[in-house]
Amino acid sequence: MSYLEYTVKTVPAGWRKMLFINWPLVVLLTAITGVGILMLYSVAGGSMTPWAEPQLKRFALGLALMFIVAMVPIWFWRNMSVMAYLVALALLIAVEFFGSVGMGAQRWIDLGFMRLQPSELMKIAMVMVLAGYYDWLPMKRVSHPFWVLVPVFIILLPTFLVLTQPDLGTAILLVAGGGLMMFLAGVHWAYFATLLAAGIGGIYTVFLSRGTDWQLLKDYQFRRIDTFLDPSSDPLGAGYHITQAKIAMGSGGWTGRGFMQGTQSRLNFLPEKHTDFIFNTLAEEFGFIGGMSLLILYVLILIFCIVSALQNRDRYSSLLILGIGVTFFLFFAVNMSMVMGLAPVVGVPLPLVSYGGSAMLVLMIAFGLVQSAHIHRPR
Amino acid sequence: MIRTPLRPLARILDARRKGENPDAIERENLRIRHEQMRDKARLRAEGRLLVMAVMFFCAFGVVGARMGTLAASEPMEPRAQATGASIIANRADIVDRKGRIMATNMETFSLYAHPQQMIDPERAATELVKIFPELDHDRLRKDFTGNRKFMWVRKKLSPEQKQSVHDIGEPGLLFGPREMRLYPNGALAAHILGGASFGREGVHSAEVIGTAGIEKFFDKELRDPAREGAPLQLSIDLTIQSAAERVLLGGMKLLNAKGAASVLMDVHTGEVISIASLPDFDPNDRPRPLTEGDASDSPLFNRAVQGVYELGSTFKIFASAQALELGLVNPGTVIDTSGPMKVGGFKIGEFNNKNYGPLSVSDIIVKSSNRGTGRMALSIGSKRQKEFLEDLGFFEPTPLEIVEAKGGQPLLPQKWTELSSVTISYGHGLSSSPLHLAAGYAAIANGGHYVAPTLLRQDGPRLGPRVMSERTAAQSLEMLRKVVTEGTASFGEVPGYHVGGKTGTADKPKRRGGGYYKDKVINTFASVFPTTDPKYVLIVTLDEPVETSGTKPRRTAGWTAVPVAAEMIRRVAPLLGLRPDVETRHLTGIINTSN
Repeated sequence: MSYLEYTVKTVPAGWRKMLFINWPLVVLLTAITGVGILMLYSVAGGSMTPWAEPQLKRFALGLALMFIVAMVPIWFWRNMSVMAYLVALALLIAVEFFGSVGMGAQRWIDLGFMRLQPSELMKIAMVMVLAGYYDWLPMKRVSHPFWVLVPVFIILLPTFLVLTQPDLGTAILLVAGGGLMMFLAGVHWAYFATLLAAGIGGIYTVFLSRGTDWQLLKDYQFRRIDTFLDPSSDPLGAGYHITQAKIAMGSGGWTGRGFMQGTQSRLNFLPEKHTDFIFNTLAEEFGFIGGMSLLILYVLILIFCIVSALQNRDRYSSLLILGIGVTFFLFFAVNMSMVMGLAPVVGVPLPLVSYGGSAMLVLMIAFGLVQSAHIHRPR
Repeated sequence: MIRTPLRPLARILDARRKGENPDAIERENLRIRHEQMRDKARLRAEGRLLVMAVMFFCAFGVVGARMGTLAASEPMEPRAQATGASIIANRADIVDRKGRIMATNMETFSLYAHPQQMIDPERAATELVKIFPELDHDRLRKDFTGNRKFMWVRKKLSPEQKQSVHDIGEPGLLFGPREMRLYPNGALAAHILGGASFGREGVHSAEVIGTAGIEKFFDKELRDPAREGAPLQLSIDLTIQSAAERVLLGGMKLLNAKGAASVLMDVHTGEVISIASLPDFDPNDRPRPLTEGDASDSPLFNRAVQGVYELGSTFKIFASAQALELGLVNPGTVIDTSGPMKVGGFKIGEFNNKNYGPLSVSDIIVKSSNRGTGRMALSIGSKRQKEFLEDLGFFEPTPLEIVEAKGGQPLLPQKWTELSSVTISYGHGLSSSPLHLAAGYAAIANGGHYVAPTLLRQDGPRLGPRVMSERTAAQSLEMLRKVVTEGTASFGEVPGYHVGGKTGTADKPKRRGGGYYKDKVINTFASVFPTTDPKYVLIVTLDEPVETSGTKPRRTAGWTAVPVAAEMIRRVAPLLGLRPDVETRHLTGIINTSN
């Protein structure tokens, strides 16, 4: 029983809730989506089809879903946490058997009107269940080894399922998001330090093993790493994405070539130009200033999340808001580093900007939860 | 941790005394305790949040900084570093002895396609076929519409072709710069140069490698970056090469020969000034080797170096020279050349069954008597004959600096019998290339030293070991001169240049089975000029020539190879810088006007 339910009296009710919605956050989300739709319009060669229009419709649906979720009290969602996790897990298992194969990976369940990507649902469900778990767990047990193993299991089970699809990008997001939530919940820092040391040691060992008898990775995997470290070594092969992306960013310069003037993206040099690599289109057409503006919008969203979490005295709510903020940040950070050649290419979309249905809807629902936690915070 | 009790007895008792509800105290304390616990948790959570916020802003900072550096960077097309940089495309030029370009490099472009990036593959295929009619339209269309990511379309483009392809406006068709080998003189000296093609190819450069001739022989050296582009200078003189090829082609056509070869060599340095083989080809567009039939029928076949033939009576001078050298005879010694003569059960006959009777050694050469040289060979003996011919280089392929030279391995008798000795003395039973013969004659012309033929420009004489005395060489030279002035090579006289030489007419061996064709011959004229101070040897060989101006077709070298050689000398001697030695009687018409 949380502290929350004793103090519901001061929580707004009915349509009055609309007044307590975190409106600046709604404005920010709309602005980012607007930028995305503008870019989709541009990469389609100045046309609403095939990308901008569906994206707009999905945003409208997402906005509606966000308000609906926001109206429902946060304690209802807290009680649904475990259920959401189990459903997402079941869907992940189902996708193994009934999923459609797209782009060389099995990720979707076809619902008729839309294709559902259970791994997207899982990102939210995991944040919910971890927030619920640490709300339930007394503070003094947080760092107890057994109580640390439980969330590790909660995180690794769906990660493993996602990896078999295979979808490296989502797997990274799940592990990183879950890990950061554990950190925020107050698990002893020694666990993280140990993990970090082990990770660095592991990477070092892998590189050390290269060319020896006990080589830990296959040769082609090493070559991929090489390509990441030096994309120009294979400009037409695996390094193609990155090289072209960098050209696009470089040719944008400080002020960009102007709206609809991007050559790299418009002339089909840039693959995945409407999904994962859409930021390059933006950077080419609006330059450094455009890219920086988008970056600031994302930072503002994160700041609003942190402020909202700090205002919230309920542990579940604040952990949930932070978890969703972290997930959002990871989406953004991984995608940005990927397109700018700071990280290897793993398929992670730019949140709210990249073309894609599941990701957009799931993010809007997630922000619905943030709004719900914000409206129903104890006062 | 010291806990404050929820129901402190003193306060409870105090409250009871005042009539207040003691439970309120407990609730109040519980609330305070919860608050404390929560505040502690909050403090910790806020600390964690601070750490993470710092991490977030670091990440944002990195992304922002990266965006800045990328925005500030010049947009650069990717240069193929791993695939292209290791390819060295700077091949050294090849120049003739006067520094004129024989082979050089030209910047050109290759054409390749990224079918996946094509906007209209069908149209691209159609337009390409319009520019390059030799491309197969259906094939191209299939490649472009399939799922290939990359394909070469053309390895070299002319500037006009490049512009036309550019005008198609298809972003999936791309050009890659590269160097190509260019032979600006076309077919001139084709067999020496050989040819080049592309080795490893990248989008941004391609490796040029030699495929034949001197290009292949010196491939490593030509590609060596340490050379820094210093050209390879050959001994060839392009002007003379051109004149020689012209004359040879004319002679070959006039005399209905199917092939011809000539070698012009400096007798002191071994420098090959010109070497020609016909038919020839254009090294810019080297034909494919024949897949069937005889490789020697291909224009790629270098008759002067690879072709080994029985060179007939041109060999007789070696027999007489050795006999002179060994002191068995002197030029005036009379030898009975009358028949019949039988060696090892075979009858040795003369040309047209003539019978010359007793002849001096000099006349044996002048009249070209088989039996006369045969008798000399018998007295020399096969062992000494072998040694002499080996010294003259007839046992090994010539050391010329083209890869084909190795293929010119002379054919020697398996057992060097007495009969072999006799037949070899007049040029049958041992096959060698015209270049071998040039080296042999050079030894006579330069006063008795073997000299190895070379294609590289030399700075001075490069005489090898002595193979005969100066006296023998001088006497042999005199005989060669007599062959022209009074013997079988009378057409070989070129006024002012004192040509000496020896003719050779050899029946062609049948390709299958043994024996010789009656009407197919190889005619050779081996000449030295000027005999007064020998500087050059010239070998002219014609394959299956026939001279048809008379009533009967004539196939002796005196009617075919000799006039061709004479014409060649007439043309190239002035180019070589030789002044005609004008004899005084030609000047009788000039009146001395000075006192």
